[in-house]
Amino acid sequence: MKLSLRWLKEYVDIPTDDPLEIEGVFASLGHEVEGFEVLEVPFSKVTVGRVVEIEKHPNADRLRFCRVDLGDGDLHEIVCGAWNFETGDIVAVSVPGAVLAGGLEVGVRTIRGVTSHGMICSAAELGLGDDHSGIMVLDPDTPLGADFAGFVPFPDVVYDVSITPNRPDAMSVIGLAREFAAYYRTEVRMPESKPVTIDRPSPVEVTIEDTKGCPRYVGWQVDGVKIAPSPIWMQQRLRASEVRPINNVVDITNYVLLELGQPLHGFDLDEVADHKIVVRRARTGETLKTLDGVDRELDVLDLMICDGRGIVAFAGIMGGEESEVTDSTSRVLIEAANFHPPSVMFSSKRHGLRTEASARFERGVDPNLPALAAGRAAHLMVELAGGEALADVRDCYPSVIEPWTVDLDVGEVERILGVPFDRDAVVDLLSRFRMEVEGDSPLRVTVPTNRPDLTRPADLIEEIARLHGYDKFPETLPSGPAGGLSTSQVRDRRVREIMVGLGMHEAQTMTFLGRSELDALALPDDDPRRAAIRVRNPLREEEAYLRTTLLPNLLKAVQYNVSHGLSHVSLFEVGKVFLSAPDPDDPRVPDQPIHLAFIAVGDTGARGLHSTPRATDVYTSTGIVQALFDRLGLQVRIRQAAPAGFHPGRAAEVLLAEEVIGTIGELHPAVGRAFGIEGRVAAGELMLAPLLADDDWWQLEAPSTYPRVEFDLAFVLEERTAASAVVQAIQAAAGDWLESVTVFDEFRGESIGEGRKSLALRLVFRAPDHTLTNEEVAPHRETIISAVAEVTGGQLRGV
Amino acid sequence: MEAFDQLLAQAPARIDLAGDLDALATLEAELVGKKSLIAETRRGLGRLPAEERPVVGARVHEVLRSLQELLDHRRSVLERVAEDRLLEQDRVDVSLGGYEPSIGMHHILTQTVDEVVDIFTGLGYRVASGPEVELAWYNFDALNTPPTHPSRLESDTLYVEYGDPSDEMLLRTHTSPMQARYMEQNDPPVYVVVPGRTFRADALDPTHSPVFYQIEGLAVDENITFGDLKGTLAHFAREFFGSERKIRLMPHFFPFTEPSAEMHMSCYACDGSGCRVCSGSGWIELIGCGMVDPNVLDAVGYDSSKLSGFAFGMGAERMAMVRHGINHIKHFYENDIRVLRQFT
Repeated sequence: MKLSLRWLKEYVDIPTDDPLEIEGVFASLGHEVEGFEVLEVPFSKVTVGRVVEIEKHPNADRLRFCRVDLGDGDLHEIVCGAWNFETGDIVAVSVPGAVLAGGLEVGVRTIRGVTSHGMICSAAELGLGDDHSGIMVLDPDTPLGADFAGFVPFPDVVYDVSITPNRPDAMSVIGLAREFAAYYRTEVRMPESKPVTIDRPSPVEVTIEDTKGCPRYVGWQVDGVKIAPSPIWMQQRLRASEVRPINNVVDITNYVLLELGQPLHGFDLDEVADHKIVVRRARTGETLKTLDGVDRELDVLDLMICDGRGIVAFAGIMGGEESEVTDSTSRVLIEAANFHPPSVMFSSKRHGLRTEASARFERGVDPNLPALAAGRAAHLMVELAGGEALADVRDCYPSVIEPWTVDLDVGEVERILGVPFDRDAVVDLLSRFRMEVEGDSPLRVTVPTNRPDLTRPADLIEEIARLHGYDKFPETLPSGPAGGLSTSQVRDRRVREIMVGLGMHEAQTMTFLGRSELDALALPDDDPRRAAIRVRNPLREEEAYLRTTLLPNLLKAVQYNVSHGLSHVSLFEVGKVFLSAPDPDDPRVPDQPIHLAFIAVGDTGARGLHSTPRATDVYTSTGIVQALFDRLGLQVRIRQAAPAGFHPGRAAEVLLAEEVIGTIGELHPAVGRAFGIEGRVAAGELMLAPLLADDDWWQLEAPSTYPRVEFDLAFVLEERTAASAVVQAIQAAAGDWLESVTVFDEFRGESIGEGRKSLALRLVFRAPDHTLTNEEVAPHRETIISAVAEVTGGQLRGV
Repeated sequence: MEAFDQLLAQAPARIDLAGDLDALATLEAELVGKKSLIAETRRGLGRLPAEERPVVGARVHEVLRSLQELLDHRRSVLERVAEDRLLEQDRVDVSLGGYEPSIGMHHILTQTVDEVVDIFTGLGYRVASGPEVELAWYNFDALNTPPTHPSRLESDTLYVEYGDPSDEMLLRTHTSPMQARYMEQNDPPVYVVVPGRTFRADALDPTHSPVFYQIEGLAVDENITFGDLKGTLAHFAREFFGSERKIRLMPHFFPFTEPSAEMHMSCYACDGSGCRVCSGSGWIELIGCGMVDPNVLDAVGYDSSKLSGFAFGMGAERMAMVRHGINHIKHFYENDIRVLRQFT
């Protein structure tokens, strides 16, 4: 809330004028200052004067020529365009040399042939309001010739204080004054809340039908008010708090709301049918036109204020048009009630109506405040609006809420805060917050009813810490836990490091998807990735689903980079996807496995003038996966397949221990195009968990120090025979001495026939314990050739 | 023998005159080759009288060694010259780009999270993660958040359609639900950090994103105090933002901590005197924290009369934005390589 420092100081002595120091006190008490504005007197050289004579302007019908006494013995001649004052009125006069709000310098001017030595000022010209319609007529007791700066509520500082939701009591000037009083060990000066009353019976009847929704209702009748603008000081304070001044009666209700934190409503009592007030829930089909001019359909849970005819106000939120205070109002009914926070919150949300009143009721207003606040408003209406407050006050308060007690063990304070506090210190701190403390062990603490946040020892300990000052606690560290990353957490980092080492940039994409992105992946209707979990209240339809695959958003990130001119983009992401199956560890929530996905487009390889780039294709994907698993010490198998969304002839399943853990390859060109990417797109998506499994420590295999024997074999194979099948056949047949087998050539041509290909392989043999001879290896060569023939049908080429 | 003297006297000058390795080879053949005076004399040694033979033999050996030394020295000089010439021809413009291996980058968020996590593992914390689609119970109720709390509204929290509608399911709005989950699954003492994605119904603007990262910290043990919270966060601030950092805790409010606080850190750019980075205040608001509310401990069956603890939650984006002058949260999720590359 925004509030004027001058206002605050009316209730509490603050021993400093330094705005920054005061900001620091607010903050140290937990009331963060979002900002403050220093307001200087908005004018200079404006003097209090009395209008002595008024004549018509000789040359202009709309102007008048005045002689004004400024107490200096002279009569000052001033031309004035306003007509709202008479001879004898006290006014604010700016003489030549004066500066008005907005910087206008006043000089001697000739207006239609008549010289004017200054101006009689309006509120707007002095920065005291928006009223341009006439000049400001001052209180007749204002001393003639005085500097008018002494009569305006400036200079001032307006603080914008952020009140945490647990502190409805602090959403008022008096509430914050109490905080300062506690801080500075002083007392709060309460404003006058006992009006002079007259004994006349009030016809008002108040009935609370729903005492849960409305525990208390005070109605105070004030007769004979004269509606007029409220005084400058009040308007200024309201304006500082961003409340628009309207008229004295309405301003007083708003003023008391800000001052004491009790929302009030003023009814024009003559518009309250039968002088009856009934508090009840709305009925189906009822409507109300609120003060903002909107017709609202009501819910049976909305709490309403009704009169003899029907609904007149939205309880705790906003009044209705029919009974609002107008210029012709003379009898006012001040409503000071207490409403149940959830009820007000429900209606406020449901109707999108947030007001100063609802903001307070939602958080909880002191049920023992209404009578005081109504009295305060009645007093102000007597003083400022000429009203007569009736002594006959309605106060429906069926079950009085008493202050409650909390037992606090003094030792508990030290246990939580870490610093010893003795009984005296605790009593001192709590009593400064208006709590009464009795007893010893435990302390019996009585909490005032405006502090609903204080019900447990922990709540009191916070108050003790807050007033003691958080800055007074030492910085200590807990002793000796033992922790660190788990094996799988270390391996998780290792996966990312390897991917980075493979030249890929890590991405973090949004968790949300739109239906169209799942469609663009060209998945079959029954693909589980289509069964995405929907967000009930999405920000946008494009973000209405939770991702079941990392690929769509990663593709968008790739496209974003391509569109910014990068020729090679290679991104990976590690993140959760959300499946409709239940989580195996907690079936109450959906399965949320972590996936690793990557996408590469454009030419890969080293960069630089002499470097040779390499086009991205399916082998980019298989190479990345092969390298990743190799560096993780895992045996991966890549098996040709045609998974959805991928190029039918350039994709594979990734198997670990014979379990499929992902798919890799080139995306189907149509998928790339759907995401605005031309050319081959290497991609892959794997489950992360199998890569992180905690396996046994690797045991060293010392490299052989003996020389190797190598030979090459070429086989003619059917086109569809996978090279991996040949390699596996060789590995299975070759015996322990086989060190490596590598395909080094792939050939197609007439010499071997259509539908066939030739693969050339280099086999390396090495024994750990002796030098191999060709004679030792030769039998293996024969075994290998027949094994390849048997498993794949491949024939040794050139034999 | 006089011929040898003469030969030795002339040899240095002749050898130095050899201008290249070919000329030196020719000269070497003449001086010490098969047809040289030395070689001939050697071959004739057998024919000399026995008493002369040792004298002449020694002299031949001496001359041969001297000549060979001169020749070898000259050869090494000429070889070096020849190599220098080759190397000079091999010169390139090294200012042209190299064969730069393509190495990727860890995302700035991952870097930030890992760095924060490492600070806490260094203090003995473990690391946990939890579901991002979470039961409202863990996200709110277990954290002492009343059913009427405004943070539960659809204007703040994203709910998902899943499972039994009576078990309200949402995208967790903070990493704090892991406080309850972790304590349910682990006996005290607990020292854990929980990094992870969190979600709010906020449209993307410079400081808000529907998806963001939090890092939760939770310490529950006997005799954990408010001072421990303060000291732990001070340690973090100094590790992450520099050893000169000071912190202060300001009273604040969270439903699941009591007392609650907001940690402010002295500005790293101006050291507290006020600058653009800290909006002139000298302090930067960084972390929400507090002592774990006894209701939270009781809800998971921990004895709040014996155990106490603190919890904190920090935004990873916020940490990175403060440290690296990142002025819009979109930079974390656009994955613009020109941005990602800047953070090493």
